[in-house]
Amino acid sequence: MEIVKYPINVKLYKSGEMIYFSQLDLVHILERALRRSGLPLYYTQGFNPRTKISFSNGLKLGVEGVVGVTFYFTQAIGFSHLRDALKPQLPQGLNILPDTTQNK
Amino acid sequence: MDFTLVQKPQRYAGNEWNVIKKPHHEKIRICIAYPDLYEVGMSNLGIRIIYALLNQFSDVVCERVFAPGADFAKLLASKHKKLTSLETRTPLDAFDVVGFNFNYELNYVRFLQILSLGGIPLRAQERKHHIVIGGGVSNPEPLAEFVDIFYLGEFEEGAQHFVDALRCYRDKESRLKFLSEIDGFYVPRFYSVRFQNNRYSFEKVYQYAQLPIRRVFVKDLNQSFYPVRWLVPHTAIVHDRAQIEIARGCPNRCTFCQARSLYHPYRQKKVSSIMKLIKSIYERSGYENLSFLALSGSDYSSLGELIDEALEYCQERRIGISLPSLRITDFVGTLYKKLIPLKKTSLTIAVEAADEPLRCTLNKQIDIRALFEAAKILYSLKIKHIKIYFMFGFHQENEENLINIGAFLKKVHAESKLRVHASINAFIPKPFSLWEDYPMHDELLLRKKRSIILKHISHLSPVKISISDPRKSILEAVISRGDRKLCSVIYRAFSQGVHFYEHAGHHWWKIWENSMHEENIDYRFYLAAETDNFPWSFINVDPRPKT
Repeated sequence: MEIVKYPINVKLYKSGEMIYFSQLDLVHILERALRRSGLPLYYTQGFNPRTKISFSNGLKLGVEGVVGVTFYFTQAIGFSHLRDALKPQLPQGLNILPDTTQNK
Repeated sequence: MDFTLVQKPQRYAGNEWNVIKKPHHEKIRICIAYPDLYEVGMSNLGIRIIYALLNQFSDVVCERVFAPGADFAKLLASKHKKLTSLETRTPLDAFDVVGFNFNYELNYVRFLQILSLGGIPLRAQERKHHIVIGGGVSNPEPLAEFVDIFYLGEFEEGAQHFVDALRCYRDKESRLKFLSEIDGFYVPRFYSVRFQNNRYSFEKVYQYAQLPIRRVFVKDLNQSFYPVRWLVPHTAIVHDRAQIEIARGCPNRCTFCQARSLYHPYRQKKVSSIMKLIKSIYERSGYENLSFLALSGSDYSSLGELIDEALEYCQERRIGISLPSLRITDFVGTLYKKLIPLKKTSLTIAVEAADEPLRCTLNKQIDIRALFEAAKILYSLKIKHIKIYFMFGFHQENEENLINIGAFLKKVHAESKLRVHASINAFIPKPFSLWEDYPMHDELLLRKKRSIILKHISHLSPVKISISDPRKSILEAVISRGDRKLCSVIYRAFSQGVHFYEHAGHHWWKIWENSMHEENIDYRFYLAAETDNFPWSFINVDPRPKT
């Protein structure tokens, strides 16, 4: 049975010590933060299930700035719900930016 | 400091999930150090236990530091900056205590490198205030001039005493005296060692110090401290998973093994305690992999029950589980069905010798026929590669034993169709092992045996081999078996920058050889062992190696 996945786009701001962590590191940092948050995560199917996380842009190591990320859940999650659950689980230097798409 | 100037800046960034940062004001300041890179040190359970344990005391701040990579060490030196802790970037010399884990002899020079970069004088007698404490070591003597105090045993039992000493006394001498009267603590300066008529004799200089020194062990693992707020690195480390210790010690009696005596007696955690740990650690870390830790997984008496319960919790949450090394009979027996959902992709077996009689001599009882019977089962478990450990350099082994290693590997590959990785290590008569009094082969003999083994390993079958370098094994043996005279050798080798060269490389060996020569030391002395009196004979382990 195919499980439906619900994507949600978020913009994160990388600063402080977090600028030294690569995109690959960021996958693990976010996966573990999501696991701690208790949100209904979507896992890839197959032998080695993983959380699905995709990036819309990358940042060079050592650079501060915005990273666009898409998370996938097994049910529809609103931005504020996601922000409230994820924010306390993010390390210092990684912040969720306000949802600008809603205001357009 | 701009970390982008160095490779893997993540090593120095700290800021991990569950990191403990406390204000320093009016606190006892301790920095614990691991004399290897971040990714190695963060995989060590002892460091994690002690870090969390010391931070439990409200008047103690405990931070961490690891050995810098060569590029970062040079950068620090060129900018005249001191090595700092990860948590608050405090230079090491601003701490009251620096604690080291010494579990690998060839890293002793990196311990001196950390002290030196941190601005702390290297020799104990040159330090007026700082206390350097060391643990994880079997024979402390080669470090006796550099370390103020050793803790021999499991620090869960010693932490309270240590903190009490720092609370009650302000000056270093009183602190050390207080501790030297307590089991497990060893202050080298409070003992004089003489070597006469080929025997070491030990005498107290401070009359209330303990002699002999008794190693200290945790009595009940279910009651002892375990770090639940698991520190999660933001970058890949060597063992990138949450570690859950299920047992400590080993009930087997392999003759070459040091761990058996150092972690005696064999103790197990209850399944219920382990399940509680799994849940609390996962909720606080979100780690997607966990591993059960024990010297020998198959000896855990409720392994089946543990796997059932752990799988029920972990499968639902997509948490991977890895097990410590298992006996091959567990794969052909009833356990293997439980292993299928674990999705193990590799299997490790310590065979040690290719022939049954030699294995018997080593007290290594394994059913080799079962290994070949298990071949099909391994395939159904989706295991892709198998790692096999061998040893060589025993006096009892003959040429045939060495030749048979190649034949053994070929047969394993032929019957299992798995990729085979063989790790072949030289026997080192480590202190407190049953064979601590066996002489070690010299370099020539080790080289000869090594080439016989390699000559008979077929290059046609896909077997990957890693085999120890004789010089590296010999140096490891010399340092592990050394006495206080080796301190000046280690100091010399460090001064000549031996830590910047790759282990066992030409320059690396030359520096060590010259350092021994300049100190008038013939290292072969430490390899000839047929005696009952050693530099470490002042330490009591229970049981004695021969019992």
